[in-house]
Amino acid sequence: MLSKEEFINYTKEGKILARKCTRCGHLHLVTTYFCQNCGNKGFENTVIDGKGTIVTYTIITVPPEGFEKYVPYAWVVMKVDNSELSISGFMGGIKSPADLPLGTKAKIVDHDERGIVIEKQ
Amino acid sequence: MEKVCVIGAGSTKYGKLADSITDIALQASVDAIESAGIEPKEIQAGYISNVFGIADKQVHLGPVIMSDLGIPEVPSLSIESACGSGSISFREAFANVAAGFYDVVLATGVEKVTHTGTEWTTTYFSYCSDFFYEGGAGASFPGLFASMARAYLAEYKATEEDLAMVAVKNHDNGMLNPKAHLRKKITVDDVLKSAVVASPLKLYDCCPFSDGASSVILCSEKFAKAHSKNYIQVIGSGRGGSPAALQGRQHITEIPSTKIASQAAYKMAGITPKDIDFAEVHDCFTIAELVDSEDLGFFEKGKAVQGVREGRTRLNGDIPINPSGGLKSKGHPIGATGIGQVAEVFDQLTGKAGERTVKDAQIGLTHNFGATGASCAVHIFKSV
Repeated sequence: MLSKEEFINYTKEGKILARKCTRCGHLHLVTTYFCQNCGNKGFENTVIDGKGTIVTYTIITVPPEGFEKYVPYAWVVMKVDNSELSISGFMGGIKSPADLPLGTKAKIVDHDERGIVIEKQ
Repeated sequence: MEKVCVIGAGSTKYGKLADSITDIALQASVDAIESAGIEPKEIQAGYISNVFGIADKQVHLGPVIMSDLGIPEVPSLSIESACGSGSISFREAFANVAAGFYDVVLATGVEKVTHTGTEWTTTYFSYCSDFFYEGGAGASFPGLFASMARAYLAEYKATEEDLAMVAVKNHDNGMLNPKAHLRKKITVDDVLKSAVVASPLKLYDCCPFSDGASSVILCSEKFAKAHSKNYIQVIGSGRGGSPAALQGRQHITEIPSTKIASQAAYKMAGITPKDIDFAEVHDCFTIAELVDSEDLGFFEKGKAVQGVREGRTRLNGDIPINPSGGLKSKGHPIGATGIGQVAEVFDQLTGKAGERTVKDAQIGLTHNFGATGASCAVHIFKSV
């Protein structure tokens, strides 16, 4: 069975544990049980480098509980290099859009109480 | 499939309400029953939508409401689908009448959260996202839509002023709605100068957290013809889904579930977007109204901005959007919103919308989704 724990351990190493469909090759984040492209249940684990490009983001000034001490911070969506996958997460130290132009290169660095942590490369 | 009609509708005022969650749900339900001109004992099932009953210490609302309507023996279904709960509940009610299981059903939506404060609501609403990737990484709901907004503004060369114009238009409409939460005229400048909540969205780009309840009575066409002279018919109903997390979507400036649901509804109705006289759409944030009105087919991708600039979506435009004031001004009691949209279409098409009546309207559409559009329902109605 799949577990978030295994996925999280890879993010701490800057990696993404992805699931590759053994029938059509479609890539998914680890939590998918059936292929979203062809419905197949067979997967093989594929470890991908957690680097990519920021495709969009927001800078949060009114945070949910637990994030007060990090304000202002960004929540970002990053397109992963050399794959169709995107992954989102927390990015600290962003105060204004000037700090993070779209297209900025970034990488996964950790997972902690802030969820998946992404930093600029 | 039986033809399905709506023969009555009721709503409380939306806003900060003092009464309990069950009280306001009952007030709207009784209004709808009286508006339909039926007796509670004629109701054969109840569909009760709500998200955060826990905030007012009452979940499993269905049996409580049915009991207090004097019909404890009538079955009910308590439904949660985040901000889309109302329309998704309406769809279940519609499907059961269409299938012939019931002749008359009640669909009531309710929410009561304003007493909990901004931190509670911001936190609990974030649980409606794909929490591992979104809420759990610090994304509030305004933040998720702000991310859609940043991508949209960059892709289509739109501006924060364009977003502000959506809020101004919806507040203008809300001024004409006695039940609206934010009845306040605003300017583009007011929006731009309001506090940033999640860049690039500011306070006036966001709908308020509201309390409120709405209720409608659905029935078979046969029952409607025998009991009412002033009713509307459901001519299209569609549902759709999207990847729960924004990261799973091919285009972040589109909501797949809206396209799937609306195409199914148009197909059932045998019409196209051009035939719609007005629409109540899910404008939880200004950006959402632009994205929705494109995904629903009223504008080509990236062109909704032009439509807003030209005033085409205003009350007197060629495709009025959110004549009620929308979630933005009318308010967003999340479990009630989808039912409230149907109540607005009922009022519009039966001559009860007063000053905000869309001229010569015969066909209205409702569009309501959960979270960032992970779940969605679209309905199309025709005056009879």
